[in-house]
Amino acid sequence: MRPTTLLRLALAGTRTDTARVVLTALSALLATLAGLAALTVLAIPTPTATDENQDRWSEQYHNALLAQPGLRGGTALALLMLMIPVLALAGQCARLGAPARDRRLAALRLAGATPGQVTRLVVLETGVAALLGTLVGLGVHLVGRNLLHRPDAQGQLALPTDVLPSTGALAGMVLGLPVVAALATALMLRTVTTSPLGVNRKAARERGPGPWAGLLIGFGVASFAVIRPVVHRFADDDEFLAWLVPMLFVVGALAAMIGVVIGTGWLSYHCGRLLRRHARGPAALLAAGRLMADPWAGSRTFAALLAALIFGGGAAAQRAYFGTKDQLEREQSRFAGLDGGTNPFYLSTMDYVDGAIAVAILIATGGLIVALVEGIVARRRAYAALVATGVPRATLSRSVAWQALAPAVPAILLALTVGTLLGRGLAEEKVSAGGGSTMICDATAALCEDPATSAQYNRIVHIPEVQRAVPVPLEHLAWLGAGALAAVLVTIGVGLLFLRASTALDELRTA
Amino acid sequence: MTQLQARGVVRAYGPTPALRGVTLEVAEGEIVAVTGPSGCGKSTLLHCLAGILRPDVGEVTWRGHRIDTWSEAARSRLRRTEFGVLFQFGQLVAELTAAENVALPLLLAGTGRREARTAALTWLERFGVAEVADVRPGEMSGGQQQRCATARALVTEPRVLFADEPTGALDTLTGEQVLTQLVRLAREQRTAVVLVTHEPRIAAYADREIVLRDGLVDHTGLGLDVPLAGGAR
Amino acid sequence: MGGVSTPHVLLGLLAGGSRHGYELKRAHDERLPRARPLAFGQVYATLGRLERDGLVAAAGQDRVGGPDRTAYALTDQGRVTLDQWLSTVEAPMPYVASTLFAKVVVALLVADVDRARSYLIAQRAAHTARLRELTTVKGDPAATLSDVVAADFAIAHLDADLRWLHATLGRVADWHREVHP
Repeated sequence: MRPTTLLRLALAGTRTDTARVVLTALSALLATLAGLAALTVLAIPTPTATDENQDRWSEQYHNALLAQPGLRGGTALALLMLMIPVLALAGQCARLGAPARDRRLAALRLAGATPGQVTRLVVLETGVAALLGTLVGLGVHLVGRNLLHRPDAQGQLALPTDVLPSTGALAGMVLGLPVVAALATALMLRTVTTSPLGVNRKAARERGPGPWAGLLIGFGVASFAVIRPVVHRFADDDEFLAWLVPMLFVVGALAAMIGVVIGTGWLSYHCGRLLRRHARGPAALLAAGRLMADPWAGSRTFAALLAALIFGGGAAAQRAYFGTKDQLEREQSRFAGLDGGTNPFYLSTMDYVDGAIAVAILIATGGLIVALVEGIVARRRAYAALVATGVPRATLSRSVAWQALAPAVPAILLALTVGTLLGRGLAEEKVSAGGGSTMICDATAALCEDPATSAQYNRIVHIPEVQRAVPVPLEHLAWLGAGALAAVLVTIGVGLLFLRASTALDELRTA
Repeated sequence: MTQLQARGVVRAYGPTPALRGVTLEVAEGEIVAVTGPSGCGKSTLLHCLAGILRPDVGEVTWRGHRIDTWSEAARSRLRRTEFGVLFQFGQLVAELTAAENVALPLLLAGTGRREARTAALTWLERFGVAEVADVRPGEMSGGQQQRCATARALVTEPRVLFADEPTGALDTLTGEQVLTQLVRLAREQRTAVVLVTHEPRIAAYADREIVLRDGLVDHTGLGLDVPLAGGAR
Repeated sequence: MGGVSTPHVLLGLLAGGSRHGYELKRAHDERLPRARPLAFGQVYATLGRLERDGLVAAAGQDRVGGPDRTAYALTDQGRVTLDQWLSTVEAPMPYVASTLFAKVVVALLVADVDRARSYLIAQRAAHTARLRELTTVKGDPAATLSDVVAADFAIAHLDADLRWLHATLGRVADWHREVHP
């Protein structure tokens, strides 16, 4: 195939295909921004130790997360974590208009295209779209760092706008992401590229998904819970801990996340069964039928949102831990008559984490909209036929709402619960403070400073050790749940707009 | 007695006219075939008569009431109570079983679940597909699907059934079995049928045939662009 | 459609056992509904020829009622002949010969396009009417399978004719130019 032919065929799509290309590019852009931010943080040079700066802080920044060399790794990791919902979004975008594209590709195969040619076509589409996205992302990053480069009065910066990752790292990001995207697409389409008949009939699913999701979740929670005992047990073996702890962390988080996403399939199926058995109206019946026929639709739809919520739940538990600790230490200090000098550093760090989670939920909502709209558009003929037979649009709207909300509510609860369990597994369930003594001086500064007088005012205060259980951050979790629910409701609203267009009776004109 | 009437119906898709002024009447219990070459406006006429589409010009009346000016909700209600609609394929909800599909119009009308299911099973039985009651459309043959769709169109005992190439996707024998059964039940219930088809042998099931050509009723009944000799004109 | 081979049909009806001429006529009209009804005279004339050729034989007269009451039975030779007929495949449309087709050709030869066209239109209307009539017969709840199968046979042929009539109507002007260059 000549390159021009390849290009012509790659561009031979409908509006849905255009939308998919644009959204693929957009998610590549977002992923690039997150990745470049992480690389930039990693690129901050660590100055050599001097007398004033023994901790080798990069003092050009206000923010300790950027200034402290020990914290920068974590900051970069958090930024990279943002790529997870973005990549989930990209995955959902790839599904957009996929049935129509699968048919088109199968038709090309029937017309004599080799599997290789068809794969190249798809890889070209996704790769070029993603490359466009990464290039624009690079542009946005470069322009953005110039615009945001505003040193304050002390010459300090809010963001690391003074450093740029190495050319190699930049190129790796801009070129690597499209390659990964193209390979992933090729992998997803392997069934179509091998069969000219494309669509194969799905075998009847008589039983719903099994409950193995529970095992994965249990494993994830358990591996988080053993992190602290392991650290305690092997405290002397630094090298062992250096690989064991991150591994437990990553494997546990992944297992819990996959478990929740798979569990959503199980929840969808069983919600559908309950609805089918007990629902009264046709709207619920339609929703129930859809939930049972494709329980994985819920998993695909909510994957990114649920991942964000697990992090959110975990972060809420961590914040509760730091918050309780902070409060207890302040109380102890007051008890001792000291000014609350405790460093709220961890709490302000948690603000950044929460911010990142909010962004992740926002991105996930984008994915949610794409997935829901895709589902509606894909069955527009069926909807139009129902409207023609007199099914009111309101009934169809209600069925779409049921179909989204029925699995979403329990799935959101599950994700928050699992997230909280992970977070609490990691942090201690009780915080303790005190258990020592300190010397304080009950006089004016001048008297205390003077060695001659200070002795008579100085006294030793014993601070008793106090333990306090870390409460479950119910309020915080409720806000997260409400936010997620709001995201789902917004999605349903957008979906209903598309439903109106999809039930336009012109869809019946097929000839 | 005339039940359904179209007067001077014009309907275009963008700049392309599909109907250019069609007038016709359908009496109670009458079976009317609408035929004509591809692209003559058959389906559009059916959609206008059934209140699925609104004509750009002209009017459609049902028992003396002008329905083309009704709101979408009102026309939906009419379609689900007084009319039945049947297409060539694809009108069953893929995720619901045959019995649930057939029960759907009854559920929409507020019938209880148990009662709706009983009625659905009766109608599936009448079309000889009781054995697929709990099977989803994807696992049925084309003939079984179309029988279920026909059962669904008739389950509310409509006054008019609109059928657009209802046997188009079926083999000859299956198509004729479905149609014979449909016509027999329609006659029993005195349901009028508007049957869109391009096949003479399907049109022969009707009492009367209306031929369309280029968006107009072709009174020669030929559906062909031929100059006619004096006598036949 | 070629003519029906009445002798072979009678041989077939006798294969189950001996019958009178009157019974044969009844059985014929019942098994071949919508065929042209067999006249008594034709039954006896055919039986006479079959008897002469040794394919059937009189199997006795049950009553003193005249030739009416003569029952006929299949001879061995008759059974062989019947078997041969059943095993022979009919030549599928060996010649394109039909009054309908011939009439259009002649109309074009002796008259003009309009004449041929008005014949085609009239024939089409007659075919359509007959098609509807047979469809009604078929849809009657009381119809037996014999009725349905017989009606189907005619319906399929009428349908084929109708398609041909329709296509020919669209082509008749060009055809006329070919006939009269």
